[in-house]
Amino acid sequence: MIRTAAARLAALFAAIAVLLGACAPAPAIPAPATPAPVRGGTLVFALSQEPPFLLPGYTTQTAAGVILNTVFDGLTGIDPEGNYIAILAKQVPSLANGGVKMLAGGRMAVTYDLVDGVRWADGSPFTSADVKFTWELFMKDSRVVSREGYDLIESIDTPTPVQAVVNYRQLYAPFLTRFGAILPKAVLEKEADLTKAAFARLPMGTGPFKVTEFVAGDHVTVERNPQYRNKERPYLDRIIFRIVPSKDAAVAQLKAAEVDGVWSLTEAQVPDIEKNPAIRVLTAPSATVERIELNQAKPGDPADPRIRHPVLGDRAVRRALNLATPKQQIIDKLLFGRAKVGTSPIALGWASPKGLTQEAYDSALAAKVLDDAGWVKGADGIRSKGGVRASITITTTTDDRLREQVQQILVDEWRRIGVALSIKNMPSSVLLSNSWTGGDPRKRGNFDAVLYASTPQVDPHTTMSQRYTSSSIPTAANSGLGQNFTRFSNSEADAAINEAGLTADPTRRADLYAKALRLLNEDVAIIWLYDRQSIDAFRSNVGGVTGNAWLAATYNAADWWIKR
Amino acid sequence: MGAYVARRAAGAVPLLFLISVAIFAILRAVPGGPLAMYAGDPTVRDEDLARLERALGLDQPLPLQYLAWLVRFAVGDWGYSLASSQPVLGLVGERLPNTLLLMGTVYLVTLALAIPVAVVAATRQYSVLDHLITGATFAAYALPTFWLGLLLILTFGLQLGWLPLGGMTTPGGDGDLVDRLRHLVLPVVTLSLPGIAHYVRYLRASLLETIGQDYVRTARAKGLGEHAVLRGHALRNAAIPLVTLAALELPELFVGALVTEQIFGWPGMGRLFWDAATRADYPVLMSLLTVAAALIILANLVADLLYAAIDPRIRVGA
Repeated sequence: MIRTAAARLAALFAAIAVLLGACAPAPAIPAPATPAPVRGGTLVFALSQEPPFLLPGYTTQTAAGVILNTVFDGLTGIDPEGNYIAILAKQVPSLANGGVKMLAGGRMAVTYDLVDGVRWADGSPFTSADVKFTWELFMKDSRVVSREGYDLIESIDTPTPVQAVVNYRQLYAPFLTRFGAILPKAVLEKEADLTKAAFARLPMGTGPFKVTEFVAGDHVTVERNPQYRNKERPYLDRIIFRIVPSKDAAVAQLKAAEVDGVWSLTEAQVPDIEKNPAIRVLTAPSATVERIELNQAKPGDPADPRIRHPVLGDRAVRRALNLATPKQQIIDKLLFGRAKVGTSPIALGWASPKGLTQEAYDSALAAKVLDDAGWVKGADGIRSKGGVRASITITTTTDDRLREQVQQILVDEWRRIGVALSIKNMPSSVLLSNSWTGGDPRKRGNFDAVLYASTPQVDPHTTMSQRYTSSSIPTAANSGLGQNFTRFSNSEADAAINEAGLTADPTRRADLYAKALRLLNEDVAIIWLYDRQSIDAFRSNVGGVTGNAWLAATYNAADWWIKR
Repeated sequence: MGAYVARRAAGAVPLLFLISVAIFAILRAVPGGPLAMYAGDPTVRDEDLARLERALGLDQPLPLQYLAWLVRFAVGDWGYSLASSQPVLGLVGERLPNTLLLMGTVYLVTLALAIPVAVVAATRQYSVLDHLITGATFAAYALPTFWLGLLLILTFGLQLGWLPLGGMTTPGGDGDLVDRLRHLVLPVVTLSLPGIAHYVRYLRASLLETIGQDYVRTARAKGLGEHAVLRGHALRNAAIPLVTLAALELPELFVGALVTEQIFGWPGMGRLFWDAATRADYPVLMSLLTVAAALIILANLVADLLYAAIDPRIRVGA
């Protein structure tokens, strides 16, 4: 008896929680006058999902990442502004500091000088051999999720224990996103199947904590790593990650101080808890962009990208639909102001295009654009041109209350400018499956408009090349490779994105991506709805939490403290 | 009787086989699959997905995948979870004691309260008390567990602060008996109330029917006390449908409570099933569903045997 209506139930929970919460006297805990860090103590952090295991590279689950952040370190990391920072490396390798060298035949060598004196939590020294081992493991073990970038590495030289030289077969621009976690060679090299090893549930690394307890379905405990390189950190003795599947139950536990923090809340939960003086809501911008993608090809199964969509193939219609989309109103009414109007797929970070915008809501202008383009209103208020009615469908994931509400607004707003919109939703297991054979309508091109979200990495190259180049349009001929669902095709944008992938200088790359995105927006291929935020909440006696758009809040768990 | 049990057990084997084929077919017909969770990740390329598909054996023809599962399952090897790589039997071993504790307590509490309440209601038919009980059972029966659970959490956990809001033990505590019992109260109440209502409705109706029978009047006419009439004559007969009902619910001790375990963060079998279902973790789902089906078949057999034991008029295998 699986409840498919789980999402609807969740909405009901929220309503009850708000009702009851409103009459609950909030326990008044005064905020500390001087928020000086406190040493020691246990912090309980509620996670809504249980990680299957705790191996970096073997899972992409964000809940696993929340815990892994506290245990493993990378050679480099990402700060809240989206800049690369050195962690186990002494500096971020670049062309300017000589860490990156371009070699003959288009090859590239990246030198990492490692921080001296780093030890694994078991006391053994961390060396360049561990870096090499991590790469070898990722290439050898078929259970690793992604080998992106690692499969372009020819060899890794370890001239000294504190220097690793990574030799790439070709220029690989996003190289700094690799080696985000290093695994201990001495412990793991004898394991035949790492996913089945005890280490998979009780790992240790070079990070501030090590996992000491994994109670399935209940909690994961990490304790202070006595070998941690910064002797002043971590402040906390331990963090207990408690698995609380219901986010509404988690909020109730936070109010009752049964947990000290809750990971990943929904916008609808914020108004209830932000008035509570004992709770601090932490919102961090996130790279996730909610969007409406408009199919430029005539829908088919599969679609032929050479045949234009009878309605959406007209740029004037796409422009009008964007003008008739009240993004700010959606944010204010449905997301309680906790989001930003979208402008591009790269909302944040060094590659985010500065000053790129999309036309703001103007229903009157939208109507005029359609008038000028020859779309004439019929007796029923719906426009048509050359016998084609401006009637389209919009698809999103079923059981997603927020997206269903957005659809309702769009049906009204777009009807006002003479475009009939009907709703045809599908389970996320179909719509977002990304599977050509599994019938993802986005892949097959069998949709008009689709509402969903996508999150790029801090290095946007994969997103840019897979989603916005014409060679990434999924067709029967290429067995459905690529994710250019709108069938956007622009040779200038193709050239810019491809050049960026072969350029090492980040400033130049950012310019090239910005150029491609400007062309994408001029074509109004996609309506960028809003940039989602990540929302966590903590008891107000918890300090040191800052949030990070690219990583879970635990990225700086070493700096967290709690005053009891 | 021995021959009867053997015959029923032999008949269950082909039935279970058909059930497992049906489960397999349904699981695979559902779109998505265990790799769907990587769909939105920009670093997971089609070549990575193809490799993972091979590594997990999902590229094999479906009949072969089914046969491989069947051969292993038949000899007691439940395989490995696709998501966590843990042996399925190990995952069940971690969760089953928790579910047995929760559902076993619910089972006992439900029966212990339902029987006296039903007797009170039936013996005082149409009294104020009976009306109150009838009203309350209808209300309890209609309450969705997710709503009731959350209401109890907010009332007794958050507002009054009497009981913990979720989990099996206090995080970081030593998890002593008192702590465990305190954590048990709200989920048990949530699951017991609808159960009690259910049993009371049945048993009250059944008792009223029995009390009106001639032999009960005869017993009274013999001069037996009301108590003896009730215990020795009416209740024993009225309990027959209750036994069937109670036996048929035995598999729930294994299956757990899906919604309640979610709300209370109870690390039981319901959650294991839910997580496996959302991840399309085929080996876990196949084993759990097939074992649940086997338990339901077994519970039916137990119900039939108990029926015969309670009611001498019924002879099994006749």
